Amino acid sequence: MSTDSNRHEDGGAGAGDAHDRIEREISIAAPVERVWAVLTEPEHVGSWFGQGEPTPVDLRPGGIMELDHGEYGQFLTKIVKVDPPHHFSYRWAGAHPGEVAVEGNSTLVEFTLTEEGDGTRLRVVESGFTGLRIPEDRTKTAGYESHSAGWSGQVENIRRYAEQLAA
Amino acid sequence: MRKGDAAGGRGPGSGSASDAGRGPGAASGAGEGSGPDAVAEVLSALADPTRRRILDALAAHGEATATVLAAELPVSRQAIVKHLGVLDRAGLVAGHREGREARYRVIPERLGVTARWMDRVAAAWDTRLSAIKRLAEGE
Repeated sequence: MSTDSNRHEDGGAGAGDAHDRIEREISIAAPVERVWAVLTEPEHVGSWFGQGEPTPVDLRPGGIMELDHGEYGQFLTKIVKVDPPHHFSYRWAGAHPGEVAVEGNSTLVEFTLTEEGDGTRLRVVESGFTGLRIPEDRTKTAGYESHSAGWSGQVENIRRYAEQLAA
Repeated sequence: MRKGDAAGGRGPGSGSASDAGRGPGAASGAGEGSGPDAVAEVLSALADPTRRRILDALAAHGEATATVLAAELPVSRQAIVKHLGVLDRAGLVAGHREGREARYRVIPERLGVTARWMDRVAAAWDTRLSAIKRLAEGE
């Protein structure tokens, strides 16, 4: 079945549909190099996205950044893009602790750092929710025919839609 | 069900891993009585534009049969039945028999669960961005 609503205007990152995403931004009163360091250096990553301890970061495309979520397990995010100090992205498999994030079990997280006066505009985009796979056993009971092809939906639209319909 | 509880936020002060394991499977464990992969099922079901149109039509009608839906939408009755099956398994519609044909209506609960899950994912990023900001500015 073809859909008429799939647009790939932003295909560079392989994130799939342009609407399959959550976007957030924040202004930071620090230079981009400083924000870059917080995003990518082990002691900082461990602080904002781990348990506080420095976390291993193999800062190169294909490298692993370990996010320690304590009792919930280790999340082995796979770094996709390292373009200091403006672009940093990785895949993370939020539902699959212990598994290396690959396409199919993970979403893509992309950070963009932009100079803003003396400070930095930091934008994060998490995308690919509709490409998440459902575990095998569920696939069977759910009877989905075309899972391997990935879902073609638009998460942000779906969110709005769900809110509206549930209201 | 424990993972779903993580969505409530339990980070050790740094706004960190509050949504660890918050994939669709984990999220739905948040005590809403739905299956472990309810959110993933809902997202998958809603990903198809025809199914969204079917839901819209059902919401407009209150209740409708596959025959009525097929008359309204550019899809065969057979395809409608198939889509209704997917929506039914995802918990988004329910059908009951009345006479010859099943009548379907929208079940809103899981849509609400899914919307709230998406909101939590977004809120978790706000928390993390704030933590990054504090770290970057606090040198």
